[in-house]
Amino acid sequence: MLTSIKNNHLKYESQKLGMMYFRVAIILFGAQLLMGLIAAIQFMYPAFLYGVFDFSVARMVHINALVVWMLYAMIGSVYLMLPDETGIETVGIGLGKLAFWVLTAAVTVVVLVFIFIQIGPGKESSIWLINEGREYLEAPRWADIGIVVVVLIFYYNVFFTYMKGQRTGIMTVMVANLMALAGLYLAGMFFTDNISMDQYWWWWVIHLWVEATWEVFVGTLAAYALIKIIDAKREIVEMWLWIEVLMLFGSGILGLGHHYFWIGTPEYWWEIGALFSALEPVPLVAMFVHVLYDWGKEQGANGEKPVIKNGPAMAWLVTNAFGNFLGAGIWGFFHTLPQVNIYTHGTQFTAAHGHLAFFGAYATILIGMMYYGIQRAYGIERLKATFKSKMAITLIVFGMLGMTVALTIAGYEQVLVERAELGAGWDAYFVAQALPWMKQAMAWRTVMGVVMVVGFVYLIWDLVTIGPKEAKENNQ
Amino acid sequence: MAKSHSVWTSIRFWRQSAAWVTGFAVVLLILLTFDTMRQIKMGSKRVPAPTVINHHIDYKYSKKRGHEVPVIGKKELFFGKEWSPKEAAALLHKGKLTEQAKNCMDCHTLLGNGAYYAPDLTKAWLDPKWKDMQAMIGAKTREEAMAKFLQHPEMYPTHERRMPNLKITAEEAQALVAFLKHMSSIDTNGFPRGFSKTVSDFKAGGTYAH
Amino acid sequence: MFFEKFTDVYPSFWGWLNQGPLTLTLFLHTIIILPMIWLYFKEKKRLEQEDK
Ligand code: HEM
Ligand code: HEM
Ligand SMILES: [Fe+2]
Repeated sequence: MLTSIKNNHLKYESQKLGMMYFRVAIILFGAQLLMGLIAAIQFMYPAFLYGVFDFSVARMVHINALVVWMLYAMIGSVYLMLPDETGIETVGIGLGKLAFWVLTAAVTVVVLVFIFIQIGPGKESSIWLINEGREYLEAPRWADIGIVVVVLIFYYNVFFTYMKGQRTGIMTVMVANLMALAGLYLAGMFFTDNISMDQYWWWWVIHLWVEATWEVFVGTLAAYALIKIIDAKREIVEMWLWIEVLMLFGSGILGLGHHYFWIGTPEYWWEIGALFSALEPVPLVAMFVHVLYDWGKEQGANGEKPVIKNGPAMAWLVTNAFGNFLGAGIWGFFHTLPQVNIYTHGTQFTAAHGHLAFFGAYATILIGMMYYGIQRAYGIERLKATFKSKMAITLIVFGMLGMTVALTIAGYEQVLVERAELGAGWDAYFVAQALPWMKQAMAWRTVMGVVMVVGFVYLIWDLVTIGPKEAKENNQ
Repeated sequence: MAKSHSVWTSIRFWRQSAAWVTGFAVVLLILLTFDTMRQIKMGSKRVPAPTVINHHIDYKYSKKRGHEVPVIGKKELFFGKEWSPKEAAALLHKGKLTEQAKNCMDCHTLLGNGAYYAPDLTKAWLDPKWKDMQAMIGAKTREEAMAKFLQHPEMYPTHERRMPNLKITAEEAQALVAFLKHMSSIDTNGFPRGFSKTVSDFKAGGTYAH
Repeated sequence: MFFEKFTDVYPSFWGWLNQGPLTLTLFLHTIIILPMIWLYFKEKKRLEQEDK
């Protein structure tokens, strides 16, 4: 079905490869949603698939599919923008294609093992072959090594293309940031008996990805997309990009401390974590302002007709600006001070933030890039949103907001009853889980998940059909 | 375009600032990491050596620190024996491996990180619930109750949401209990707060735990 | 109230800075930001020279 998306108008092999990454990404996104639904249903009906496909399995596939589809879409976006920015075909593209197939084969095997073998005995071999058992990084060690090799190939492609072609500010940030992003993965690749040490380095990967390197990546993508979609001026966009890098890394790197309050690490992290991470929303506001400012400025200036060259991509980009600020900035700030976090740490509140942040900051812009890729693939001058595009974005965003509200309410209940009132023990936990309002929240979360899935059906339907449709209309 | 006079719109200024701030934040993080590594290595006061399983552990309010801290007490037998440093380390190693291989963290939280489908395990060893469970399972000691439960959680439901059978062997279960007992001795700066206590206990400065 | 006795488990440079009113974080933020002022004036001078 997805092969029906044509690449006829793409001049560069690099961009065709980018489209391949997008195809896998969107399939994995679908798998992610399905697994989320299973896990959500298990919250309501614990007997559902009990002993066959337990919550831990559904959740593991849910969050791994999440990370993997986003990495795919990120790599796809880079292959798409690389020739545009450097002006040349990507260096070593043949190797890049090989890496794509190797990676996809490896991902398939890992998913099959997760689904059918699930867990192993308490031995080193399980960590190497089946399941590493560390949230988000469950992929077994052999796959870790495979991922590192594939990423090295990818980085080789990007770096040498950058060196050989034209060097823009956007690509300079991209190349430096990708190095950090890839390098951080290594921090999650060792075993230790010491659970505090384990969590210390685990957060290097998770936090320094989502709150530093991935954010800068998104800033870079947005810079590129704004130039392409609304003809934003490069000097202005690049200036903003450097400001964003300054603020994102300035707050995000030491903001890591907000995960070191309670894992056995020293008390000084309270202050470092609190105050650096409290500044993390600032660049998110800046990014938000930047997108809207460019948008307002570029259209209608000098009385020209506003031109948005890609309606759906721009809609997702604006959603990204909002969502990043709301999910990461506001929901993150809610629980980032130790005085609050001692109660909210590891509750449904965390899940509310995790959902809105991952969705708002990353899912949105990556979907936008897919629409942009399709526009290029069909050589469409101006891609307008269809009814399906509108249904997709409306339902997915509405579902996500509804889910976040439900989880926030659930988190509030859990924090007050289980944590504050009863002190976080076993009984405290189940008393809070059994509260009617908690159960209702869990039901609403599932309902909103279904809304998202319907939106997703529209999305994939739109992605497959919008290209041919618009191409035909444009040529008439 | 006319040359801009303001530093605030100079790309070079922002680029240099970004490079400086990023580089320096990284250096600070590395320095802090070295200090933290020293403080949390296995066998430190924050993360006690594996032989802590040979001791009684409690979690009490400390006036000085302003929150609860683990209190490592007198020696007590663990599964009926005292474990040598070597045996204890091997047991903990197996426990941590099992925790990962069975994917505990995609239902539970450890040190507050993980999934939210089941109770936090940071101080699970100290949970007063094991008193009831001991009776229900018919076990002589807390560790025996925990080990039996872990091998057959489906047989001892406490709630509609049951833990699945993860094919945990007797050896693995013993190792997991050691892992949990060790984790409860880690100084988590007072998380979770007021663990399993009522207000009166809290004021009296004791716990339900033992 | 703002200055506290050292309470952490191990003494350390960072822990020691952590005893006053936000002294640790203020210290870190300051040493990160101060050099930007120098960068600012350096850039200003350069821009002025270019104008001439
Ligand atoms: C796009 C950016 C972000 C994403 C994708 C994100 C995602 C997440 C996720 C998934 C978790 C849960 C991790 C787990 O499973 O244990 C988490 C935890 C957390 N996040 Fe974020 N986050 C982002 C930005 C932020 C920001 C900007 C802040 C603060 C201002 C923040 C504050 C926190 C805190 C304090 C926790 C720990 C929660 C706890 O103690 O349970 N996050 N984040
Ligand atoms: C059909 C829609 C979805 C449903 C029903 C769903 C359901 C769930 C459930 C039940 C969990 C486990 C939470 C727990 O441990 O208590 C979870 C975790 C998670 N989901 Fe989803 N999800 C959906 C969509 C998404 C989307 C679109 C994203 C991001 C783009 C996402 C990101 C996450 C993350 C990051 C976690 C881990 C949170 C944490 O550890 O704090 N989910 N989801
Ligand atoms: Fe974080």
